[in-house]
Amino acid sequence: MSIANTLSVNIQKKIGRQRLRKFFLGSIPFLILITVWHLNEVFNWLAPVFIPKVSEVWEAFFILQEDCEGFSAAIVLDQSCMMSTHILSSVGRVLLASLIGLPAGIALGIFAGMSRPISKVLEPIGIFANSISGIAWIPLAIVWFGVGWMTTLFIMLNTIFWLMFFNAMLGVRSIAKVYEQSVLTMGGSRWDVITNVYLPGAMPSIISGMRMSMGFGWRALIAAEMIGGDSGLGFMIFSSASEFKIEEVFLGVIIISIIFLATDRYCLIPLEKWTIHRWGLVWKPH
Amino acid sequence: MPAKLVIQDLTHYYPDEYTGESVHALEKINLKVEEGELVTVVGPSGCGKSTLLNILAGLLPYREGLVTVDGVKIEGPGSDRGVVFQEHAILPWRSVAKNIGHGLELRGTPDQERKTRVSDFIKLVGLEGFEDKYPHELSGGMKQRCAVARTLCADPVVMLMDEPFAAVDAQTRITLQEELNRIAIATKKTIIFITHAVDEAAFLGDRCFVFSARPGRLKAIVDINIARDKRIWSEMNVDKEFLSSRDEILRLVREEVNVAIEE
Repeated sequence: MSIANTLSVNIQKKIGRQRLRKFFLGSIPFLILITVWHLNEVFNWLAPVFIPKVSEVWEAFFILQEDCEGFSAAIVLDQSCMMSTHILSSVGRVLLASLIGLPAGIALGIFAGMSRPISKVLEPIGIFANSISGIAWIPLAIVWFGVGWMTTLFIMLNTIFWLMFFNAMLGVRSIAKVYEQSVLTMGGSRWDVITNVYLPGAMPSIISGMRMSMGFGWRALIAAEMIGGDSGLGFMIFSSASEFKIEEVFLGVIIISIIFLATDRYCLIPLEKWTIHRWGLVWKPH
Repeated sequence: MPAKLVIQDLTHYYPDEYTGESVHALEKINLKVEEGELVTVVGPSGCGKSTLLNILAGLLPYREGLVTVDGVKIEGPGSDRGVVFQEHAILPWRSVAKNIGHGLELRGTPDQERKTRVSDFIKLVGLEGFEDKYPHELSGGMKQRCAVARTLCADPVVMLMDEPFAAVDAQTRITLQEELNRIAIATKKTIIFITHAVDEAAFLGDRCFVFSARPGRLKAIVDINIARDKRIWSEMNVDKEFLSSRDEILRLVREEVNVAIEE
C-alpha cells in the first residue's frame, strides 16, 4: 500500500494534480467503452461478424503493416506498407489542406471583415458554397479530377476554407472599434491595424473556426476517400467493409479518432492557451 | 508664439446612426490651446464633446472650419496627437510593457531605446512589477494608468483625453486626477481633457471650456488660477479659488442642463 501511495504521489508531483485529474476524467468514457466491448467478447452478445474482438483489431494493425520493408518504404507510401500508407496519406491530405485552407480563409475572412465591398463580393458565394459544402461536391470532383489526391484535397479545401472564412470575418466584426482607433492615433497604418488588432482580436473566432474546420474537414475527407479516393483511412474502411474485414473497419475508425483527438490536444488546445486564455479573451470553466 | 492647437469656426453635422437624420453637433467653435497648457472641456451630455475629440484625433473627418496643430491642418489620425480613451482601449493581447511601448514600436524605434523609455513611463505611472501582466489581470485604475503611459510614451505633441477616469471608482479617480496633475508638471504636455464631471474640470484645468447643450457652442471660458503644485484634493476642498471656479463652472453647466431638459 505504501509503495502504491508513494508512486501515486510521485506521479502527481511529476505531471501535476490538475492535469492528472483532467486526464482521468477524460478517459472515463473510453474505459467504459472498452470494458463493454470486452464484455461483449466474453458474453457473446453480438457475433464477431458485427463486433470484432479487441485483440483482432489490435492485430489487424500489424497484419496490414506486415509486408512493409522498414521506414524508408513507409515514408514513400509504398503499397506494401498498407497501414502506414493509409494513415500517412490521410494525414498528409489534412496537413496540405490545412496549410492552404486555414491561412487563405483567415486572410480573406479578415479582409471581408474589415471591408464592406470585399464582404459584399465574397459573402454570397460563401453562403452558396457552404450550403452544398462537403460531400455533395464529391461526384462533381470525381468528374473533374478523377479518383485520387486532387478530389480528396478539393473536398477538404472547400470545407476548411469557407468555415475559416466566415469565422474570421465574424471575429473581426466583433472587435471593439476603440482598439483600431488607438492604433491609428499612435500613427499605425492599415497594415498595423490588421496585424496588431484584427488578427489577435479575431483569435477566439479563428480558433473555434479551426476546430470546426478540422472536425468537418476530417469528416469530409473520410467521405471523399471512401468514394473518390484510392488510399487513406476512409478508403481503407470502405474497401475493408466490402470484404467483410470488420476488424479493419474498426481499426480505421479508431485511428481516425485518435489522430483527431491528438490534433485537438497538441495543436489547438496549446494554441488556445497561448493566445486567448493568456489574453483573458475567453473565460475557462472551473 | 502661436498657439499649439487652434480651432477656427468648426461646425459639424453627422447622420444619426439609426434614423439617418442629420444631427447638429458643433456650432462655430473657436478656441486656442497654448503650449504646455492643460485645458478641460465640460458640458452636458450630448453637447458634442466626444465629437470634438474625435475630430481633433482625426478619427472623424470634418468639412466646415479649420483645426490646426502647430499650424498644420488636421487630416486624419497621426502620432502628433495621442488619445487616452474612456476605457478598455489598451490591447488585451499585449502585456503592460508592450502596450506602453506600442507607439514607439509602430514608429520603428530601436529596441534598446524603446525599453528605456517604457521603463521610465512604467515608473512614472507606478506600474513597476506589472510589466509582463496582461490587461485582464489589472484593476480598472491600473488599466487607465497603463493607457495614460501608453499615450505619453509615444510622445505626442498634444494629448487628448476622453473622460478617461469616468469608469473607475471614486477613490481611484481622485488618485488618478492627482497623478495626472503630477504627470502634467513632469512632462509639460499640452493636454485637452474632456469630462462631464465639474470637480474634475476645475481640479485639472488651467482653463475650462464650458460647452452649451446641442448644438455644442463654446459658452464660456473659466480661468482657474491655481499653481499646479498646489493642486491636491485635501487642499482644494478648502481652497477659495478652486471652490469659486468650480461653482462658476457648475452654474454654467446647470444652465445648459436645464435648457436640454426643457427641450
